[in-house]
Amino acid sequence: MSDIAVYDRLPHATSGIANRRKLVWPDGKRLAVAFVVSAEYYEMQPSADAFIPPNVPGGFGRAPYPDFRAFSQREYGNRVGIFRVIEAFDKRGIVATAAVDQSVAMRYPYILRQCLARRWEIAGHGFSLTRVISNHMSEDVERAYIAAALEALERITGSRPKGWHGPEYGESVRTTRLLAEASVGYVLDWPNDEQPFLMHAETDHPLVSIAMALELDDVIAGWHRRLSMERWRNGVRDALDQLLADGESNGRHLVLNLHPWYIGHPHRIGYLEEVLDDVLGRDGVWLTTTGEIAAHALQSEAVKPD
Amino acid sequence: MLQYSYRPRFPETARTRLASDQSWIDYLPITERPPIVWPNKARLAVWVCPNILYYELTPPDDPWINAWARMTPDVMMYGRQEFGPRVGFWRLLDIFDKHAIPCTATINVAALRRYPEIRDAIVARKWDLLGHGQFNTRFICGLSEAEERAYYQELLRDVRELTGLTMSGMGGPGPQAGTENTPDLVAEAGFTYFGDFFHDDQPFPIKVKSGKLISMPYPVEMNDVPIFSTAFEGEQFVTMVRRQFDRLYQEGAVSGATMCLAVHPAVIGQAQRAKYLDEVLIYMKSFPEVWFATGRQIADHYMAHCYDAVIDRLATWEQTS
Repeated sequence: MSDIAVYDRLPHATSGIANRRKLVWPDGKRLAVAFVVSAEYYEMQPSADAFIPPNVPGGFGRAPYPDFRAFSQREYGNRVGIFRVIEAFDKRGIVATAAVDQSVAMRYPYILRQCLARRWEIAGHGFSLTRVISNHMSEDVERAYIAAALEALERITGSRPKGWHGPEYGESVRTTRLLAEASVGYVLDWPNDEQPFLMHAETDHPLVSIAMALELDDVIAGWHRRLSMERWRNGVRDALDQLLADGESNGRHLVLNLHPWYIGHPHRIGYLEEVLDDVLGRDGVWLTTTGEIAAHALQSEAVKPD
Repeated sequence: MLQYSYRPRFPETARTRLASDQSWIDYLPITERPPIVWPNKARLAVWVCPNILYYELTPPDDPWINAWARMTPDVMMYGRQEFGPRVGFWRLLDIFDKHAIPCTATINVAALRRYPEIRDAIVARKWDLLGHGQFNTRFICGLSEAEERAYYQELLRDVRELTGLTMSGMGGPGPQAGTENTPDLVAEAGFTYFGDFFHDDQPFPIKVKSGKLISMPYPVEMNDVPIFSTAFEGEQFVTMVRRQFDRLYQEGAVSGATMCLAVHPAVIGQAQRAKYLDEVLIYMKSFPEVWFATGRQIADHYMAHCYDAVIDRLATWEQTS
């Protein structure tokens, strides 16, 4: 621990993938592929103490109240986009994880019920896109924030979510411990790996980190970098090629984070369908969910506390 | 290229609504709505909005928004915009004429005043007009209720005097285009549709204090400004528009779909781009069961045949179902 304390206190080990024990997926598959669909609410009038990063996508930047455009551009996902995304998964018999924020859960339980009817996994996703966890949040506020987001989902779905994804991948230095204390089993905020790993949760409850492929996040690629969707689709294709090759020696995962307000538009949804078909056409892929990856990691010999 | 910017610090705008959030648009997922049936059972209603804008070289200071992000005057950015009425518009007009597109011009009133030839071309073709304020460099986000009420009255009066036309739609101008009174005042002034909500593929009722108002989602995606402000060029524009059209045309077999294409003469009217607009219009015109309409025609049809059914559905729909 001493070197960590000296340089920068991280909530996980820094071991490189080349020196790890071999991770074996079920049936000897080389690559686990899972999808996360993030359902988010953009408050037109966020509370005064809410922390919002400066580049939250939507509209034309943070505008004076009432910003109809930013709000409504994001709201498209909850009214229209998510149903195209759900249909794309339905047609192919694929189950995804829905990361649903508390505001969507409370305002639109319909969306949660649609996900549950398809046996999708549900992950906590904070309060709203316009209230992001960061070090600006006190420990007490953050603890209550996490609890409220999980309880809102539990009230509607009947079970407590095992996964967590902070809005805008936001965390404080305390988040790992607070998630573990809240009995969260896996976290999706650290886009730093191609294998699951254990966080230093400082509690008895193990917390697995599952890295989503950040630059294949549809919004990072399409909104922030303004890549065409052809290039996003081709990027996923190239990643699948590389990961399946690398997965010969040590299992890998590819987890894609999708945003219905963006990829759910008529002109984009076809690219998601093409990506799903690409995945389905590959040998060596374990098409699974983030929850299954986390559960597998916990009973794997390869994923052990240091 | 950076057009507008918000000032690093801007004054608070009025917040008198007690609701913690928006209360203009009710939630009704698209999967739960009564089907839309367009005239002649068209699968898809397409409306095309050329933007007829007027930018001031030296606009008045605005406490919230810099009309020119770099400097004032910004001859480079102004000139880029002024290319629109001088050249781009006339290039696009030939294309619209060739395909007989019933356009809905998104207009700044000052453009009608300053460019009488363009005004006459619009009037001669009986285009529809979608209100977009007086100038593209003066914004309404800080107006008081009384000022904003007067603003819409003046806008309608000016347009009537300049063109003899009425307007049924309103949206903008600028990157943030409203106050918390805007939907109420737009309805009160007699507009029937509002273009600043991007939340949907379909028109949808907006809750207002008086009258009836619907949202007609103006395109934040099918819009040459965001498309060509990135590394995209004509090929990507064509791909996006065709994919949008194909998907909506397919979905339109179940419930009539709506597609709006917004274009700016200063952007897609450029020599290297105009042919791609021609290309997508040729493509869309090649399909049967497509209703090329104006914003007003679509809004009127929705008001007459779809509005009440959605209101009824909202009253009976339960999210637990």
